[in-house]
Amino acid sequence: MKKKRSLKLTKQKDGYSVIFNAMASPCEVLIQTQNKPLVIKIAEMVSKEVWRIEDKYSRYDSLSVCSQINTSGGKKTIIDEETYLLLNFAEQCYQLSDGLFDITSGVLRKTWSFDGAFDKKTGECKNFPSLIDVKNFLSFVGWTRVNYDQKSITLPQGMELDFGGIGKEYAVDRSILLAKNLTNDPVLVNLGGDLAVTGPRNDNKSWQVAIEHPDCDSLGQQQDMIVALNQGALATSGDARRYLIKDGVRYGHVLNAKTGWPINHAPRSITTVAPQCIQAGILATLALLQGKHAEDFLTEQDITFWARR
Amino acid sequence: MKINKLTFEVNYKNHKPKFKLTLLALIVANLTACSSLGVEPWERDLLAKKEMALTSSPVDAALDDHIYFSKEASSGGKSFGGGGCGCN
Amino acid sequence: MNNIKNKINVSKKYDIKDNMKNNKKCNIKAALSLATSALLGTTVIVGNVAHAQDADEWQFETAFLLYSEADRVTAGEGIIAGTKTFDNDEILNLKLTVDALTGASANGAVVQPKAQTFTRPSGNGQYVTTEGETPLDDTFHDTRVQLNAQWTQPLADNITGSVGAHLSKEYDYLSLGLNGNLAYDFNKKNSTISMGLSHFQDTFTPEGGIPKPFSSMLVGDSSSVDWDAEFAKTRIGDSENKSTTDMLVGFTQVINRRMITAFNYSYSIVDGYLTDPFKVISVLDTEGLAQDYIYENRPDSRVKQSAFMQTKYHFDDSLFNTVADVSYRYMWDDWGINSHTIDTRFTIPVGKKSYIEPHIRYYQQGAADFYKPYIINEEFVDEQPITGFVSSDYRIGEMSAITIGAKYGVVLNGGNELSFRIEYYRQMPTNAGFTDPSALNRLDVYPVVEAVIAQVSYSF
Repeated sequence: MKKKRSLKLTKQKDGYSVIFNAMASPCEVLIQTQNKPLVIKIAEMVSKEVWRIEDKYSRYDSLSVCSQINTSGGKKTIIDEETYLLLNFAEQCYQLSDGLFDITSGVLRKTWSFDGAFDKKTGECKNFPSLIDVKNFLSFVGWTRVNYDQKSITLPQGMELDFGGIGKEYAVDRSILLAKNLTNDPVLVNLGGDLAVTGPRNDNKSWQVAIEHPDCDSLGQQQDMIVALNQGALATSGDARRYLIKDGVRYGHVLNAKTGWPINHAPRSITTVAPQCIQAGILATLALLQGKHAEDFLTEQDITFWARR
Repeated sequence: MKINKLTFEVNYKNHKPKFKLTLLALIVANLTACSSLGVEPWERDLLAKKEMALTSSPVDAALDDHIYFSKEASSGGKSFGGGGCGCN
Repeated sequence: MNNIKNKINVSKKYDIKDNMKNNKKCNIKAALSLATSALLGTTVIVGNVAHAQDADEWQFETAFLLYSEADRVTAGEGIIAGTKTFDNDEILNLKLTVDALTGASANGAVVQPKAQTFTRPSGNGQYVTTEGETPLDDTFHDTRVQLNAQWTQPLADNITGSVGAHLSKEYDYLSLGLNGNLAYDFNKKNSTISMGLSHFQDTFTPEGGIPKPFSSMLVGDSSSVDWDAEFAKTRIGDSENKSTTDMLVGFTQVINRRMITAFNYSYSIVDGYLTDPFKVISVLDTEGLAQDYIYENRPDSRVKQSAFMQTKYHFDDSLFNTVADVSYRYMWDDWGINSHTIDTRFTIPVGKKSYIEPHIRYYQQGAADFYKPYIINEEFVDEQPITGFVSSDYRIGEMSAITIGAKYGVVLNGGNELSFRIEYYRQMPTNAGFTDPSALNRLDVYPVVEAVIAQVSYSF
């Protein structure tokens, strides 16, 4: 079931590109250097780190720390410092979003399967859940019921943790830290659209980043937007790939952890810029959770962003 | 002369209330922002480290307490002084 | 441009009701920055993929310490302690301590410009101290075993209780103790108030029995026929008891992300036999030459109080992420003793897996009211036995002490920690205002006591 893990190096005009697969996304590392041994070193280090985080926090991997916590059956599980820090971060996101962002809401996937499976005739979603379905699963959602401290976590039976909302962005930031340790050359790490750079390109030029438009135009062509990035990170939150259509209404995959339903009137996608990827990612998600006030929220916070409705 | 001096002082003092009021407002603003001393649960990253525990090495503390209980006239303070042994 | 326009609109909407909400919103970016640096900024030890494990395991800490005074006492102490945390945050802690003591201790008599002969506490045999030397009794060697058990559990939201038991046994001493403690956390667990009580019941059966206070130390030929009968006359019993009751009130407060403080007050009552049966006081003539040695006598109760405060501060990168620990204790009792203790430690990380911790402790105490380094003969009135209390034990005299040391700790592969500690302890007794008679003028009446402490610890 796991894809074979491999790296692909490609020489480009003024640097190298490294491609690999992780966290169910295409991942790319761009290094602006002619030093091939250095590129190999960085590539191995970054991919190893990304795969390490995936192995540790993926809820789809039965051997991961996330899965072990999720199958602990209400018993206390010992955690290490990294997990503790991530839980702290999730706690803060819970507080800042007034409970809308909740990493225990992953259990709702059992009722919401955002796979785009639709009835060929009506074009509508096949497996749309009922109110009762959602209510049942909602009883297993609630960050306040998670008990943790720096040594251990106790997750009530039936509840699950989902690091999906922060895992990829965290991996990007960790990769940038490691890359910075190894070299002063400009590096860009892009994990499925969540990306960050170590700094501007050589000669103080900015990185040109393309943001995908959620819809294709009538010809099936992607409508991209080009953004110039000098430093920091960029993250996108949205329903580009995961959505349901029911009664003509499009439901994005970002769920309101309090009601169990997708957020109403959220933009199709939000891309934010912030000093770190995890910050950008959370801000994008927090914005989406504001539904129709998404853009106002980001404006008030003085964040650079692009929203598509 | 005296009266002039007094007037001068009064005038001078009148400038201060504005500053004091601003300072007070800032303090009140700060206090309402953090209702009292302490941290939010997510700010406990450093405090959670073993080195930040009040007694980061209980075994060292127990060994030292025993030495000082035997060689000096004081004991305890941080924990029970105790009887414990026939050392003093 | 658009952004600026929007910003102005937002501030116009400001009113008292929205105050708290707006303040919170305006802080999201800042709060998130803080949270992000907390997540990424701290050095995380990235090693092998960490696996979650059941919390159903024992954590152990072991240590061995060697205490060695120059020319005097040497002691070795070993501890093994195990902690197990149960499902509902209940904690059981068991500890075994074994220590062995050997070497010589001051017997209370003062130095003389001539050799002195003393009788061993057991009454069997004598020992001689050369001129100019502080009299030391080297018959002390003892082994002690101690067991401790402590149970801690949450009693209600924010209330934690703890009970414990203590047992200590050595050749001539038995101590049994119980303790209990309640702690209440409030203010988002930023503040804690706690109160504890402990009680110890000790029984002392010293070799040679309990000496009669102020009776003269019998010095002569311990193999003579009359010896045993004469020795028995200086004894008033075989064993004595002592009970200690301590009360401790504590308050801890988190100041900010980097700082925590604690304040404690304790009150302790000790009742029973508090005299040291092995110690004597030299009775000198007006010139300062010893005429007699008499057994000391201390009050049968002692009330001690102490005020303690401690601060721990975690510095940032500019100071190597050092954790500073500074504490001060003031103790006072009804024997007239006051003491100050200042203790400081700096834990400095070295790389990702080790640390070095320099340590300095300064201690200063005043003498007990009844402390005398010696008694001058003319204090005897008509050969009446002395009443009241007197002791020459330098440990309740006036002195200052300093400890300087360092500890080095390293986390091994697998997460176990190994550490080494070495310290130098120097006790400097001082003259509490006594005028030495002429014979003692060129002698060291208040000798310095130096010791080296070395410890190795391993936790797994």
